[in-house]
Order: sequence, then C-alpha cells, then structure tokens
Amino acid sequence: MIEQAFEALRREDAAGTPPFAATIAAARARRTARPRRRALGLAAAVIVVVAVVVISLRRERDGVRLEIDLATVRWQAPTDFLLNLPGDELLRSVPQLGPRGLDRRTL
Amino acid sequence: MSPADLTAKLEELHAAAFGWALSCCGWDRAAAEDVLQATYLKLLDGRARFDGRSTFRTFVFGVIARTAREARRRAALRRWLPLAALLLGPEAVDGRPDAAAALVRADETARLVRALGRLSERQRQVLHLVFYEDLTIAEAAAVAGVSVGTARTHYERGKAALRTLLGEERE
Repeated sequence: MIEQAFEALRREDAAGTPPFAATIAAARARRTARPRRRALGLAAAVIVVVAVVVISLRRERDGVRLEIDLATVRWQAPTDFLLNLPGDELLRSVPQLGPRGLDRRTL
Repeated sequence: MSPADLTAKLEELHAAAFGWALSCCGWDRAAAEDVLQATYLKLLDGRARFDGRSTFRTFVFGVIARTAREARRRAALRRWLPLAALLLGPEAVDGRPDAAAALVRADETARLVRALGRLSERQRQVLHLVFYEDLTIAEAAAVAGVSVGTARTHYERGKAALRTLLGEERE
C-alpha cells in the first residue's frame, strides 16, 4: 500500500519536474543577483544605524538638562527631631577659653 | 570532478533531486525550485564539494536537505527581523506538506501527502528517501545526518504510523 502510494507520488512529481537546463540557468543567474541584493541590504542596515546614532546625538545636544547642585540642597527628614538630644548644642559649639574667662581665683 | 562531469551527473539526478527538494519543502513547488537552484549553485561554485565518502546521490540529497533547512531558518529569522528580508531573499516554507498543494493532486497521492504531513520531520524524510528515492536505510541515515539505528527507528515507527494514517484516510 505504502509502496504503491509513493510510486504514484513519484510519477506525479516527475511529470512536473522543471527542465534541468532552466534550473541550471536560474542557478547561474542567482550568482550575479545575490551580491547586489546583499549589498542593498547592507547599505540599508548601515543607513539605519547611522540614522539612529545621528538622532540620539542630536537629542543629547538639543535636550534641556536639569542640573542639580547637590551642595546647595539641604533636605530634612520629618523624623530628624528624634536625633535632637537635650544639651546637644554644647556638643556643637566650642567653649571659649581666654583671658576674660580665666579668673585668678580659680587658678 | 570537472564542471562538465558535475553538470552531467546533476542532470542524471535532476528528477530525483527535485522530488527530494519537494519533500523537504512540503511539496511547495516554488520553494523546491528555489532550494534546488541554491543547491546547484553551491555545487557549481564549489561551496559544497563531493569528497567520495558516500555516493554522489547521497551527497547531493544531503546538500538539498541542508539548503532547505537553511531556507527555513532564514524564513524564521525574517519573521523576527523585517530588515533581514533584504539580505536573505525570498521566503521558504516550514517543511510540512502544503494543504493547498495536496488539494490539486490525485486522490491517492493527496492522501499520502496529507498523511506524511502528520508525521515528524525525521520520519517523513526517512520514509521518503526509502520509498520514493529507493535509498537504503543506511543511505537515508547519511542524507538525514543521523545514525543508522536512529534512521531504522524512524523508518519502523514512521511506516507503522503512515499505514495507520492511510487506513484512517481511506475510511
């Protein structure tokens, strides 16, 4: 059954086989057509890459930059008060020692 | 092998090679012609060279199978990269028998083509090479690029499945 079916398929396909000369001629014609198509494709790819680079460079140049000077920014968290200790101003200031502060009686 | 010898040998094999190309392209005539032209070009340009390790027929069939696979890969790539169409050329089919092509065939062959479409690619290849091209299982294994044991397994399982499918189609 399988053999007969394949035999029938082979006969049917053989009737529609393209001429050998035409196939060889078409194959030889492809030899010249292929480099042109490949070159076209490569050219298109290069154009796309260049366009992407140019567009991205232009955007970078024309774009508005938001510059932030971190030194001028002072942000306070709402919970900063928890860090305040009683009398911590004494720790932040330098005590004044000098002739006025010194008393002979204390020496 | 001289170019004249090569051309003469290819001419002898042409009908069988076209049948195999049809099978590799799911009986899509245009795709099969395209694959066959690409194969002949590879052979004429020396990109595929016969080294005498197998029969010439097995070698040419192997090149056809590889070329059809490359065409399918290009088609898959083309689906993902629209620009690739320019680089890769015309589209190829997925290797399964074309339902539209089966419609214009005689009843018996149309049934066979439909049934083959339901088998795995390897089973379809091995059965085609053995029954259609009259190759041995060892030669079919060389063309399909699998071991003889694997080809025999595909042959046995494929034949059993095909017999069942053809029986179902008749009912």
